[in-house]
Amino acid sequence: MKEDMSMTDLPCAIQIRNLAKTYKTGFWFKPKVTVALKGLHLDIYENQAFGLLGLNGAGKTTAIKLILGLLKPTVGQISVLGGRISDRRIRQQIGYLSELPYFSKQHTGRELLDYFGALHGMSGSALRHRVDEVLELVRMTKSAGEKVGGYSKGMLQRIGIGQALIGKPRLLICDEPMSGLDPVGYKEMRDIFIDLKKIGTTIFLNTHIMDEVERICDRIGIIHDGELKEVSMVTDILQSSVPVDYWVDVDAAQVSKLSGLPFQDAIQKNGGVQVTGMVLAETLALLTSRNATVKGVRPLSSLVEAYFLRAIGAQEHLAVSTGGRK
Amino acid sequence: MRKILTVGLFTFRELVRSKMLFVWLISVVVLCGLAFLLSLLSYGDILKIFMDLGLVGMEVSGLLVLLLSLAVTYNTEMDQKAIFLQMAKPLTKEEYLLGRVLGFFAMNALVVLGMGAVVVGLVVLVGGGVVPVLFYDCVVFLLLEMLVLSFLGLTFQMIGTTMVGVVLYSFFTILLGHCVGEIEWLLSKQLAPAARFLLQVVYYCLPNLEIFNLKDRVYDPTLVLHWAQWQDVLLYAFAYSFVVFLIGWISLEKREFK
Repeated sequence: MKEDMSMTDLPCAIQIRNLAKTYKTGFWFKPKVTVALKGLHLDIYENQAFGLLGLNGAGKTTAIKLILGLLKPTVGQISVLGGRISDRRIRQQIGYLSELPYFSKQHTGRELLDYFGALHGMSGSALRHRVDEVLELVRMTKSAGEKVGGYSKGMLQRIGIGQALIGKPRLLICDEPMSGLDPVGYKEMRDIFIDLKKIGTTIFLNTHIMDEVERICDRIGIIHDGELKEVSMVTDILQSSVPVDYWVDVDAAQVSKLSGLPFQDAIQKNGGVQVTGMVLAETLALLTSRNATVKGVRPLSSLVEAYFLRAIGAQEHLAVSTGGRK
Repeated sequence: MRKILTVGLFTFRELVRSKMLFVWLISVVVLCGLAFLLSLLSYGDILKIFMDLGLVGMEVSGLLVLLLSLAVTYNTEMDQKAIFLQMAKPLTKEEYLLGRVLGFFAMNALVVLGMGAVVVGLVVLVGGGVVPVLFYDCVVFLLLEMLVLSFLGLTFQMIGTTMVGVVLYSFFTILLGHCVGEIEWLLSKQLAPAARFLLQVVYYCLPNLEIFNLKDRVYDPTLVLHWAQWQDVLLYAFAYSFVVFLIGWISLEKREFK
């Protein structure tokens, strides 16, 4: 695993050492063993936003559940805010939003926040005040009196983030927080995270939305097949020379000029060709030499996405499967 | 203690709003209908009929509500994973379990006491009789039975992996718990060693629900409950509940929230 070594002096919010998790399923005499995490070694620093990126089934949710004590590690140690997660004083300082959170449909949004606030030890006017504050923050004041059973996916997600924030957490752990949100909800949620970062909340996000990572996170880790592949600062990635794929838009009417070129069929079929950054100049030179009109060139992915695809070794596979350069 | 009450109130509110009180309402309608019919047809002691019907109605509606409560909350907490967010909060597992039991018990108590009020109304207002003292003892015993079964049902929720399984385990435990006398009778017979061993395991694991059964003796003039009997029943109810609670707590401690 490649890791940045520039921040090892910073205080750790989460320290994970040699963490592994295997699941046994099936009958006891014929168990099927699934390895969900292999030797995870990771530090999440305080006052930073960390994004754990990975494909579905990569082990992101397992990692979060292990951190929160919802699952027990097969081997390895986890320290959260300097203590063990089983200590309720530690849990007092943590907010957690699960992927697609579910709540009892018989309660209103306000009652749910009241409940979760009371679990954080709040009561009376302090609780009422905090619930009002959180409802305002997640833009749910108007619907707070309605039963959760009538909420949309986006509203549930907002109440979910509300219950995570009710205890003014020092560490916020979110599993796919943007799931089910419309573009407006997505932007509002992103703004909430950015505001939380400003007040020094440590954020741990599980996601596969690259845009979210680029805008919110300071640092990212890439997990694939249960293994942490790379950890890097987002600023470093944005300044790096990670090869990005481009789409070269060519006038399909001029395809006759391209006979013999390897991408002639792709241009005839799609009106353009997908190439990696490394061969972009070469491709453009070839097209120009045949007097073909290049209508435009645009990047197909962000740098973070390209970094992610490279880390999990998916870029070449994608290039082949989309009919691009062979 | 405050967190136990918080979880209890949350559970109780969820159950009340899940229309559990309809069971009580239906039971009341059936009870009043039957009482009316029997008062027209019967030549026997109408007060005794009201009382017998009422006590059976109290127990059946309480048990029905318990089974429904287990099904509803298993679906929300375990199937839909609402428990995840609560387990990540500064809430201990024992607070969570005791809070849930409190919620179940409060719901059951509401149904049993509500039904009891209807029975008293029938006996006093319709039958023109007096409610025997043993009726109130019987109600307390019934509440103790509901407490034991609330702990047991919750423990099945912690152990079980499906809603149907939890409801079936609870149902058959209730059924067999009322057959302890029959199991004792079987144990007094000649049995193969393996069968005897198995039956003894069942006998000692099952709750003895007959210990809480005073229904048939409410009008027994010879029966007077002494403090020693109360002590036995209370001790049994709390000891059994405690052991079952421990099993539930260990199961929750060991449970992985995948």
